[in-house]
Amino acid sequence: MAVIFNDTRMRDRIQLVFSLGIFALVALLPAIVRNEYWQGVLIVSMYFAMLAAAWNLLAGYTGQFSLAPAAFGMIGAYVTGLLSYHFNAPPLVGIPAAVVVAAAIGFGLGRIVLRLRGPYLALTTLSFAEICRLVISNSIEITRGDLGLNVPGIFDHRLTWYYVMLGVLVVIQLGLYFLLRAPAGLYLRAIRDDEIAAASRGVKIVLWKTNAFTLSAAISGLAGALYGHFAQFVSPELGLLSQTGIIVSMVVIGGLATLPGPIGGAFLVYVASEFLRDFGGYQLIVFALLVIIFARFFREGLWGFFRRAIERPGRRPAPAPSAAE
Amino acid sequence: MLLIDLTVNGLIIGLFYALMAIGLSLIFGILRIVNFAHGEFYMIGAYAYTLIALFFGISPWLTLPCAFIAGMALGWATERLLMRPLYSGYASWGVMKDEYAVIITFALSLLLINLVDKVIGPNGYRGPSLVATTRVEIGPFMASGHRLMAAGIALLVLIAVGLFVRYSYWGRQIQAVAQNRLGASLAGIDTAKASSIVFALSGGLAALAGALLSPIINATPDVGAFPAVKSYVIVVLGGMGSIPGAAVASLILGVLESFGAVYISYGYRDTFGLVILIMVLLFRPHGLFGERSREV
Repeated sequence: MAVIFNDTRMRDRIQLVFSLGIFALVALLPAIVRNEYWQGVLIVSMYFAMLAAAWNLLAGYTGQFSLAPAAFGMIGAYVTGLLSYHFNAPPLVGIPAAVVVAAAIGFGLGRIVLRLRGPYLALTTLSFAEICRLVISNSIEITRGDLGLNVPGIFDHRLTWYYVMLGVLVVIQLGLYFLLRAPAGLYLRAIRDDEIAAASRGVKIVLWKTNAFTLSAAISGLAGALYGHFAQFVSPELGLLSQTGIIVSMVVIGGLATLPGPIGGAFLVYVASEFLRDFGGYQLIVFALLVIIFARFFREGLWGFFRRAIERPGRRPAPAPSAAE
Repeated sequence: MLLIDLTVNGLIIGLFYALMAIGLSLIFGILRIVNFAHGEFYMIGAYAYTLIALFFGISPWLTLPCAFIAGMALGWATERLLMRPLYSGYASWGVMKDEYAVIITFALSLLLINLVDKVIGPNGYRGPSLVATTRVEIGPFMASGHRLMAAGIALLVLIAVGLFVRYSYWGRQIQAVAQNRLGASLAGIDTAKASSIVFALSGGLAALAGALLSPIINATPDVGAFPAVKSYVIVVLGGMGSIPGAAVASLILGVLESFGAVYISYGYRDTFGLVILIMVLLFRPHGLFGERSREV
């Protein structure tokens, strides 16, 4: 028991170091990338990285395969957008409000889907996401429907945005690391691996599943609110199912249930998709294909290749781990 | 009189929904997964029917089987290439089979939509009608000739599928695997073959629905989204894995929608089905007609 505990901690630590390495690299990038457009691309990648990390907490670590991450991003963006559109609320009010509202809705959804598993959970969260999007795009008197809302910006300088977003992302990642290091991390993974076994060992299933949903929704809401202020525009398109598809593909390509997977996946997929856009918009075809290949043959994603590379040579290559670590 | 008209039209739409939903239900029965790429089987059928008729100028009666075969081929390939890890000892997904199925079918759906969007283009194609008559009146009820003919074909195919699954040699094997995969394989049934047959059949049925509806709803890359969502609702309503349940639920949803579009708000029309889906999953997860034994 103790050995397994230490092993998990060790792996988490290596993974944290790797993700901090990615952040350091990204922090240095503006020295080379002086083009405002490409800096913007990197900022949007950070938005996706936050959503991917939030979804990874829920799907990768807790085993709750929600199909609503994009919907929570959209909810966050619309809360701050509507507050500033109707009440002229400053972003300092709007963003915390977005986090609170998204967390509350996530809590509600988490309570509702407690008993559901696998395909049932996927269908319910998918319907929830579509209902949210349809309600927002049909409540034309309040949200202006598909026209979207204009949202005031916060910072004038793109580089300020760049480092603020990066800072938030680092804080989220560190928070997730400390959460996983705490007993909570073991509870969540135990629920993922075997709910009944976890319950029989005294893990409070209801509490921790709901916590995972709430926290994941709160992070997604924060990401959405920040994105809304950055893009200065929010529309129901933020909640499209294809957005969820992009988030899922980032996590699967980077590595499900790893700390650096979603972050690295988000930067790689989004930046690559901007490159591919110049070659005739084949990006979604390429990513869907990559997701299928990774999911089918490389269950651990890109992180799996790294893991094998950094494992001490001489030791027999470990068999693919049963769950995820 | 409006009541009769709405009811009959709803039942006709329900027949097309049933073509989709029964395939989805068969897949759920045999593999315990939801196929999120089911709408794309429909889309492929619509395109196969429309484009073959358009480019080769063949009678639509001959292209209809082509669409069915195209759907069967796609369904068979999907099972053969992507679904095998679910049951053939591919260890590394271990505890996360459901997640694997969601990821892989979701990605397949994205892939097919965007592939068709790039190869054929985003513009819609209208399929040729099966019969030239534009208007048939039977008492108070009116419909186009094609709609009636398509509904008749759908009904015949549904009856044939029902008989196939209930009485044929392969159909009984499929039932056995759906009840207990391990038990069926111990009794000498080739479970992999049963899964292939189910996927091919479901693909063919969805493609047939797409082909039959293409003169009414143009074939576009994302045309599969709406029938797919309807069939999720139907399969949940009828009880996941239950074929009679799916058939009855299709007709119910068809009639409800046909009344809803007239008497309730049009903008929120699509949300009602989804709300029904969530409510059924929460309060009656085995569906209206599902067996209690199927665990959730």
